[in-house]
Amino acid sequence: MAGLELRQLRKSYGNVEVIKGVDLNIEHGEFVVFVGPSGCGKSTLLRMIAGLEDISGGELRIGGKVMNHVEPRDRSIAMVFQSYALYPHMTVYENVGFGLKLAKTPKDVRDQKIREAARILQMEHLLDRKPGQLSGGQRQRVAIGRAIVRQPEVFLFDEPLSNLDAALRVDTRMEIAKLHQNLGASMIYVTHDQVEAMVLADKIVVLDGGVVQQVGSPIELYQRPANLFVAGFIGSPKMNLLPVTVEAVSDGKVTISSKDLAATDIAANSSGISAGETVTLGVRPHALQISSSATLVGRVALVERLGNETNVNVELPTGGQLMAVLDGDQPLQIGHGIALGFDSSDAVIFDGEGQARHL
Amino acid sequence: MSVATATEATIGRGPVSAAKRETAYPGWFLLPAAVIYSVLFLLPTISSLYFSLTRWTLFDATFIGFDNFAQFFREPFLIKGLVNTVIYAVVTSGMKVVLGMALALLLTSRIIARGYLRSVVFFPVLVSTIGVGITFTVLMHPTNGMINEGLALLGVKGPGWLTNPNLALFSVALVDVWKGVGLATVIYIAGLVAIPRDYYEAARIDGATPWQNFWFVTLPLSRPATATVITLSFIGGLRTFDLIWAMTKGGPGFSSDTIASVIYKQYQAGFFGLSTAGNVVLFILIAILVVPLTMLLNRKRGHE
Repeated sequence: MAGLELRQLRKSYGNVEVIKGVDLNIEHGEFVVFVGPSGCGKSTLLRMIAGLEDISGGELRIGGKVMNHVEPRDRSIAMVFQSYALYPHMTVYENVGFGLKLAKTPKDVRDQKIREAARILQMEHLLDRKPGQLSGGQRQRVAIGRAIVRQPEVFLFDEPLSNLDAALRVDTRMEIAKLHQNLGASMIYVTHDQVEAMVLADKIVVLDGGVVQQVGSPIELYQRPANLFVAGFIGSPKMNLLPVTVEAVSDGKVTISSKDLAATDIAANSSGISAGETVTLGVRPHALQISSSATLVGRVALVERLGNETNVNVELPTGGQLMAVLDGDQPLQIGHGIALGFDSSDAVIFDGEGQARHL
Repeated sequence: MSVATATEATIGRGPVSAAKRETAYPGWFLLPAAVIYSVLFLLPTISSLYFSLTRWTLFDATFIGFDNFAQFFREPFLIKGLVNTVIYAVVTSGMKVVLGMALALLLTSRIIARGYLRSVVFFPVLVSTIGVGITFTVLMHPTNGMINEGLALLGVKGPGWLTNPNLALFSVALVDVWKGVGLATVIYIAGLVAIPRDYYEAARIDGATPWQNFWFVTLPLSRPATATVITLSFIGGLRTFDLIWAMTKGGPGFSSDTIASVIYKQYQAGFFGLSTAGNVVLFILIAILVVPLTMLLNRKRGHE
């Protein structure tokens, strides 16, 4: 049983600190996704867990044992690289069995494990081919096969789908999810694609600037983002963020308004917020609906009719932009007025520091 | 891959555009190059084939059929020269591969003054072969040479590097390796830095030792560089002449003669037809050995 513990994990290159004290617990069998924009440190963090990067500070434990200075092969991990890193001169069979060969595993055991991995990944017919003769998706599978035969406690994936085309990415994503269910091992998966993170993860770790912004289940992150960064990063299309003024404050409730927005009560942790302050209102595009008791009125600037839903870009009187995703097909005309409302329980207030004020 | 694409394109656009593509340049563009090639390469090759079949005094040539070849193969030292040539080519190209790879590994690792050391190892390549030959002849002098004097200081009696018939050829080969290994090293450095780091990281996670890294990753993936080094140095070794001539003139006796030096001696003696026949033999020998070798080295691999 191997959980992972990261305690104040740090990494610096010279004077530049790229991982600034990460604390994280990963339970055995959990599927954890590190997500964040380019340069946020997610791949570095993964490589530190793998043992490919030295740890500058803090402690890494796998299965309760400190692993800071343990060689990668002894960490009971396996890694799938973004480039797949399949050896071009070896067949699929040799590639998958390479680690076992290095570990001097007896030939019959090796053969059995390779064939078992090939069976799980349905690539028995590819075993004699070389990587150059495989499609992108097949190479991806071989790379995963190479990880499986090591029977690791923790699988590490470094942006494994980024070299695949869109359709294949969806298929492979499902295969990885199934694989996780079947193998029951812990998986840590790095991606910059928040949709991948949402659909795969038991737990998402949002990173920015080498700092963990929020850790939680996908729905938790979607519904209760901890700050403006997470609110903007998770969810597609992005959450609408509008600057508003606080009109009145009472316990558990903030009344806000702006030139575009009629006075509205939002349930929020109001401690430390005072009337007259500028805060940010966050509303998901899906929470906005056409309404007669509208609180936001604007002009239709752009319409995308997808059949099952309609994306509307709304220009507010003061020049601000809103994105709304309306149910069903809405025959809206560009330039016409539109009135939108939202349920105040779907809205989030962010204070001056950008922190969410969930109740 | 590119062949398939070209075929598809040809089918798609029809034969007219295919013909157009083949004549992307007007025919007369080829003329200057064709003239130079014919006068300087094609003509000499064909005429040498002809003159190898004649008794030739530079002014007068009498056709004598294959007599020159028969004569050439009757030369007592020719077989020695043939064997020496092959030994020389194998020894020098083999050592250049091994040393070139070793030096390239050293010079791509994190060492101080790496750039300076890289240029130092390449420097002998730039020096004149005759100069190198004369210098090493002096250094390898059996009694007064610096090498044997140095060995004497250690209490070792140095051999007659260039005077011992069993050693002379290998001594020259050693100097050839010293002079040429820089080029092999540069080719290997280019090959090694082109290997993606991911391969080593994947091997590291699989627990590869440095030796396994070399054996399973570096060596197979630097194969294109190895093919280039072997081909270049093997051809160079087969046609070697200048270093041999500067250091031993094929001696002592005929012990370090190669085909090229045998041919040169015939030429010096005025047997122009005979030496031309020798050149034809050398040409054929190189073709017989190198063509299958390059085919073997560059055979299509799965990932290409």
